[in-house]
Amino acid sequence: MTEIAALPDERQASRRDAGRETTGREARRRDRLIRFFSRISIRLLAFNVLLVFLPAFGILSLETYEDELLDYQERAMVQQGRVLAAALGGHGPLDGERAQSILERMNREFDARLRVVDSDFLLLADSGRLGPRIDSSATPPAEDPEIRRNLIYRFGNFLYQSYSRFVLPPEPPLPHAGFYSTQKKLVGPEIEQALRGGYGSATRRTAGQRSLTLFSALPVLSDGDVVGAVLVSKSTFQILGSLYELRLSTFQVILLSVLAAVVLTLLVSTTIVRPVSKLQREALAILDRRGRLKGRFKAYQRLDEIGDLSRALAELTRRLHEHLRFTESFASDVSHEFKNPLASIRTATDLLEDEDDPAARQRFVQMIQRDVTRLGRLLSAVRQITQIDARLDAEPTEIFDLRRTLERLRESYELRSPGLSYALHVPEEPVQIEASPDRIVQVLENLLDNATGFSPEGATIRIDLTTDSDDAVLEVADQGPGIPEENLETIFDRFFSYRPEGKGGTGHTGLGLAIARAIVEGAGGDLSARNGNGGGAVFCLRLPTHS
Amino acid sequence: MAKETPSELGKGTIALVDDEENIRETVGYALRKEGYRVDTYSDGAEAWQTLEEKLPDVAVLDIMMPRMDGLDLCRKLRAKSETLPIIFLTSRDEEFDRVLGLELGADDYLCKPFSMRELVARVKVLFRRLHLADSPRTAAEEKLIDVGGLRLDLQRYTAHWQGAPVQLTVTEFLILNALARHPGHVKSREQLVQEGYPHDSYVSDRTIDSHIKRLRRKLTRTDPSFDEIETVYGLGYRYRQPGASD
Repeated sequence: MTEIAALPDERQASRRDAGRETTGREARRRDRLIRFFSRISIRLLAFNVLLVFLPAFGILSLETYEDELLDYQERAMVQQGRVLAAALGGHGPLDGERAQSILERMNREFDARLRVVDSDFLLLADSGRLGPRIDSSATPPAEDPEIRRNLIYRFGNFLYQSYSRFVLPPEPPLPHAGFYSTQKKLVGPEIEQALRGGYGSATRRTAGQRSLTLFSALPVLSDGDVVGAVLVSKSTFQILGSLYELRLSTFQVILLSVLAAVVLTLLVSTTIVRPVSKLQREALAILDRRGRLKGRFKAYQRLDEIGDLSRALAELTRRLHEHLRFTESFASDVSHEFKNPLASIRTATDLLEDEDDPAARQRFVQMIQRDVTRLGRLLSAVRQITQIDARLDAEPTEIFDLRRTLERLRESYELRSPGLSYALHVPEEPVQIEASPDRIVQVLENLLDNATGFSPEGATIRIDLTTDSDDAVLEVADQGPGIPEENLETIFDRFFSYRPEGKGGTGHTGLGLAIARAIVEGAGGDLSARNGNGGGAVFCLRLPTHS
Repeated sequence: MAKETPSELGKGTIALVDDEENIRETVGYALRKEGYRVDTYSDGAEAWQTLEEKLPDVAVLDIMMPRMDGLDLCRKLRAKSETLPIIFLTSRDEEFDRVLGLELGADDYLCKPFSMRELVARVKVLFRRLHLADSPRTAAEEKLIDVGGLRLDLQRYTAHWQGAPVQLTVTEFLILNALARHPGHVKSREQLVQEGYPHDSYVSDRTIDSHIKRLRRKLTRTDPSFDEIETVYGLGYRYRQPGASD
């Protein structure tokens, strides 16, 4: 910091810039690295390989197994030593000849090297000097076992050695196994222990070998006095041999597992990650450079979650396209629908300009007024239909009896249209529905207005409410001219209007039934039309009842 | 009556088909005031019931109508008569192409909201064309424009390219006339609107592009080498000066 402060301003600045540049580059590199490792395939690979390695280290060290083998070997050695000590003991001070002959007899059965010392540490007998019939393990071959030259073993051993060198705490070097070889008097700590009447043991490195030599010393007793000691020694070469073999096969298994993990990961990433990146490319391709929705997702055939995702996305884009088409056609419908009253106003004003007859002028002015009212009504209907979904969500729903609503509506329509009669049939039981009552009234009014508008003087409008399993079914039937068969569905289209001469006037917007259907569908029901058997239109409204 | 040619201008019969009551009333009123007989119908099916029996002299059809729409009715009328002049009233811009692109044989069309004067003027032109078609040509009436291989008859509103007749709507004829009258001069879209729709100021510049496209198509169908209408970017259109090389 002080160094930088001492620099001239300019250099300071340049150094700061350079610093920022490096940190920027570092940040980018770090960013790339993070991105690399956050890729699903990399994470899968790391996870799979770790899964194999975590227990592998435990197995590779095989500490417990080794300890057990050593323990076993030591016990076997002590056993051999005890037998020898028992044979030697009980006869007063030790005699070299006798000890040698006992050793010779025993050597045939024992695989460890046995030595006998007297109470002055003087070597009396040694199975190692008994000629060729000596256990090979006592003087192991100078060369490393075959197994240690195996390539895979060497690789595994390298890993393990690095692990033990850098991770495990260092152990003090062991004394050499040739400790006793040149001495007449075997003065070792374990023998001292044995001559004191206890059990002594030591571990020494075998000369030129990786294996260790275990030494166990046992006292030889005669009438309760220690008269000498038996030294049993054996190299751990055999143990090491089986350990090496075990390590090798373990390591082979680990290698195979790692290989399997890599292959599995690659396989998984091709079946998961590849289709996901394909989806991502598709998503990018769907919008063109100006951000407009162009293409659509292809639904995959695959049955897994990615297949589901692709199908969901395909459905999403399909709906988006549908909605866009709807919006476009709606805009064009609206403009078309506005042009008729506009054309009418324009022709009327054109005529007004040249017309002198007051009666005709009056007629054209009225026509313009009617069209202006109609444009206003059209505007509010358009606003209503575009907001219907949002409004239905915002409006609170209530649970109410549809019978009561219908009865109230019947009363008001009978007052309004005294020339017609309204026959209402409802079930005995309440018909509870859950919806926004205002909207349902709007739908019912639309149906009743239509029926009223199309009915000849003195006709009866039939209103039947029934229930069908979980639905409330309402039919409104009139005695009017009916609906042409080909228009039974199109009457629900926006701006569709078919009215025979003199019926309904110019008050309609062509949106009433479209709005009614949108409301009913929003409430989970449906609205359809058919012609009655005796002529006249029948509108059928189905709404789920509240249970 | 169907085969009858009106002996006098303004004495013909007009069938007006529109589902809009107010339009029927105002347009009917204006045309009747011009001396025509106007029969109004509220949809194609209703009109066909009467017109099947007896064709009018000119038909004015709305396109969007319940039951039989204007295009269906036009097809039926054309099947009965090749020469009956038909004017469409359209309220959708995309209908232009359907009307003329489908070559239903409409003689002209107007977009809602249209000017009443424009409509009356178009109807008059169609009657005049009808009236002059069969009458012998007299030198006094002869009002012709010859530009290269193009001949325009301003009296009959007909066009010939190298002797072959080219069927043009009134609007197309007026626009072609405006261009060919001054070969080599650039006409802006606004000027062409003025020429094509002398009584209407509500037409957008872009409709001119559709008309030019259709004019070129009709002329190249007569003669594939026709390339006399040039687009001058940023300005408008120009009729090629005869003899001038490109």
